[in-house]
Amino acid sequence: MSKVLVYILILISSMHARGLNSQMNDYMTLLQEEAKLQNRNFKSFDYQRGELIFTTQRIGKKGKLISCVSCHTNELSKKGQNIHTNKVIDPLSPIYNSSRFTNVKDVKKWLRRNFRDVYSREGTAIEKGDVITYIINKDLK
Amino acid sequence: MKKIILVLFVITRSLIADGYFWNEKIGVAPVTDALYKRECASCHFGYQPGLLPSKSWNKIMVNLKDHFGTDASLDDEDNRKISKYLIDNSAEKFTQYKRSRKINESILANEIPIAVTKVDYFKRKHNEIGKHLIRQKEVGSLSNCIACHTTAQRGIYSERDIKIPNYGRWEDD
Repeated sequence: MSKVLVYILILISSMHARGLNSQMNDYMTLLQEEAKLQNRNFKSFDYQRGELIFTTQRIGKKGKLISCVSCHTNELSKKGQNIHTNKVIDPLSPIYNSSRFTNVKDVKKWLRRNFRDVYSREGTAIEKGDVITYIINKDLK
Repeated sequence: MKKIILVLFVITRSLIADGYFWNEKIGVAPVTDALYKRECASCHFGYQPGLLPSKSWNKIMVNLKDHFGTDASLDDEDNRKISKYLIDNSAEKFTQYKRSRKINESILANEIPIAVTKVDYFKRKHNEIGKHLIRQKEVGSLSNCIACHTTAQRGIYSERDIKIPNYGRWEDD
């Protein structure tokens, strides 16, 4: 029975990690293991939960209401703009910007920074996995 | 004839003021470090290290967790590499460049400005620009060098290269 469960989990994880390179797949697997330690009932990363993380507005460090959408927009195929510096941000969707989600070091860095900016704390493994799942799958449909 | 002499006098004077005769270079030394460009200039204009003295870069680089209200933290290794680049190329080491020299000269010994926009020389140079020109969406703030200084990327901040959005060239009188 537990074997079946493992297979299902592997299947789900490989679906969510569709199109990712091997270092990113490894990272997603790592997040998944952490997620299971964090919550016994954890099944898999979830697009809807990720969307909520991405779009929920919070009082950011500067006292203004911000969300991930503030800079990245919610059209991940399009360019965004840093609200503090006006600098253009390339599309987040790996389908429209093939350099996205290819380098684990970069992904970790931006998750750390941006969670702190919007949520004033780092994301948990579940949250990170959810939001990545949202971003990489949003434009697949 | 008098006119020609006058013109020559004016030209010579401005060349002396610009340090032309002792080979002073205009502007600041351009950015050369790829890691710095990648990590810092991905969010904001890539300020040349010669725009601030090393004491300022030091203060900025140890406070990246709260970098002008956003988290710009780096891992230790990248932080060390970038700090070294900034400090090795900071204003007080590049005083053969006019802007670096002027910036450096205007900072008091007990002062540690954490942005070039806080440097007295910079403030003096920008105090005549109307607030509406700075706040407009094409510019945003004085820290957005490239919005008006068309050659800022090359470290050149000359008046003749200024073009303010919705205003045009800047003529100082």
